[in-house]
Amino acid sequence: MGSQKRIAKELAELVESPPQGIVVRLADESNLYAWNVYMDGPADSPYYQGKFLLNLSLPIEYPFKPPTVNFKTKIYHPNVTNDDKGSMCLGMLRADEWKPSSRIHAVLEFARQLLAEPMPDDAIEGRIAEQYKNDRKRYDEVAKEWTRKYAIES
Amino acid sequence: MASITLEELLAMETACDRDEIVDLRSLETVSNYDDHLMCPICRCPFVRPVRLQCDHVFCQKCLNSAITALAASRDDFTCPTCRTPTRGFYLNVPRLLVNMCDDIRVRCPFRDEGCSEIVPRGHVQSHVDKYCGYRLVDCPDNSCSKKTRKKDLSPEGRCLHELHRCLRCDDYIMEQDYEEHVKELCPSLKTNCPDCQTSVFRKALREHIDTCPEVIHPCAASKYGCPVKVKRAELMTHEKICPLIAMGPYFEAQNARLDSLELTIRHLQQRNEIFEDGIANIRSTLVQSSRALTEDDGPPSDVHTLPTSNPDIPRRRDSSNNQSQIDSSNLYTATTTNYLLSLHESLREEVGQLSHAITDLDARASMAIMNECLRLKEDMAHTNAAVGSMRMQVQWLMNPRLHQGQRTGARPNNAAGGNGTPAASASGPSTAAGPSTAFLRPRRLSDSGREGTKL
Repeated sequence: MGSQKRIAKELAELVESPPQGIVVRLADESNLYAWNVYMDGPADSPYYQGKFLLNLSLPIEYPFKPPTVNFKTKIYHPNVTNDDKGSMCLGMLRADEWKPSSRIHAVLEFARQLLAEPMPDDAIEGRIAEQYKNDRKRYDEVAKEWTRKYAIES
Repeated sequence: MASITLEELLAMETACDRDEIVDLRSLETVSNYDDHLMCPICRCPFVRPVRLQCDHVFCQKCLNSAITALAASRDDFTCPTCRTPTRGFYLNVPRLLVNMCDDIRVRCPFRDEGCSEIVPRGHVQSHVDKYCGYRLVDCPDNSCSKKTRKKDLSPEGRCLHELHRCLRCDDYIMEQDYEEHVKELCPSLKTNCPDCQTSVFRKALREHIDTCPEVIHPCAASKYGCPVKVKRAELMTHEKICPLIAMGPYFEAQNARLDSLELTIRHLQQRNEIFEDGIANIRSTLVQSSRALTEDDGPPSDVHTLPTSNPDIPRRRDSSNNQSQIDSSNLYTATTTNYLLSLHESLREEVGQLSHAITDLDARASMAIMNECLRLKEDMAHTNAAVGSMRMQVQWLMNPRLHQGQRTGARPNNAAGGNGTPAASASGPSTAAGPSTAFLRPRRLSDSGREGTKL
């Protein structure tokens, strides 16, 4: 019960003054625990001009348990799984790293930062991380291609 | 500084929860407050703060839910902020902190009912409890489940939720709202139009504003930049002379054209991208094939005579055509080189296939030979064994004959020795029985033979 108040408060804050390049909506007006996040690709990244849809789902125990973030739009990124789940590997979202004082605002900003600067040492897709480290040009190309294919509506 | 244990804290919480009328966390704050006054768990100003051993402060209620949500066992509870293992809790946080939290201005929780009071948070409890006339209380009539504002409560304890009919608008209104309805809300009341000062019915006001000649209206061409805003009555005359209105259709046509052009440009861009991709592919294949040519000098003289069925060729030709569009002077050389290249490529492929087939056949043949050899070897072993057994049998059959041969050789010696008849009569039956027993027991034969010789 306590979680609802805090979630509503955070949602109101995020809707009122959203972080740069991020728009937050409830996926379903009657459910506070599932959010849709629309994220613009950062300007100096291969994801530029892409519009990525993320699902952010909050546990009932929030803020004592961390939320989970999934990319619904396919993305070529070392820290996002390349399947239909699109799970994102964020250090602060691990159960033992999460603190109740962390805010969704920070989570979203961190996620967007990860688009600008992937963390290949903390990767979930080893192959992409390898490519990011060794063949940056090719990585940029593929990421741009995927962004054009999946994240830019025409 | 007395610290209390976790169990004491939990017990206290349930006791405190009961006598709380106003939920301090859902109050709307008016004054700005420092972020440090915010509980990291509920993100509201602290409500009954509690301090941990590590000096971090939380609301008592939040800490309680953190304990129940986080700690698997009560012994390993850690601070939600710094994760220091914690056993002791201090209720006496600095007075300053409590005062700052209590001093935050909040709106009365019954604002929706009409209370416009703004009070310090510390006083909101008593405001609601004693002074707020808009607080909702249960209807004094026990059979009625509705709520009434405190100020509307009738002194006689009557239920005010009965419906009364408004004489003017025919709506049914609850008794407690009746006065307000008649004075302000009833749609049959007359009101003045803010622009033309004629009095109209309240419910017709909206329609009136849509048609009122005095309402200030922008020019229809305002989206094209006409700054004029005049009363509706004068708008007609303005629109007759407004040059932007006259230009309107033209603008619209231009807009439509621009839109369609943008659309085509986008399509063309996409197509262009696709073509660029294709050209890049073709380039890379060309580079590869030219590299292959320089590396491998196959016999180009045979190339023409051989039939080719390689599907690569038309594509290569296409690519060379593409190339020729870019550089038309190289057309002829490019096509011939490409043709030769493709022939060469197809030949290489065929040779590769042939060598593949040969190795395949080789492997199969050697396998067959191996199999045959094995079988022959086995057969030979069988015959060997048979021959061996036959030799044995032959030997076995030969044995009695050999012995007989020996004995017949010895008998003339005995006869020559003297009394031959008893020996002959004794040996007679023994020789007659000899072969029959000899088949079974050759040794006995020799024994009996010896007996015979002794007798």
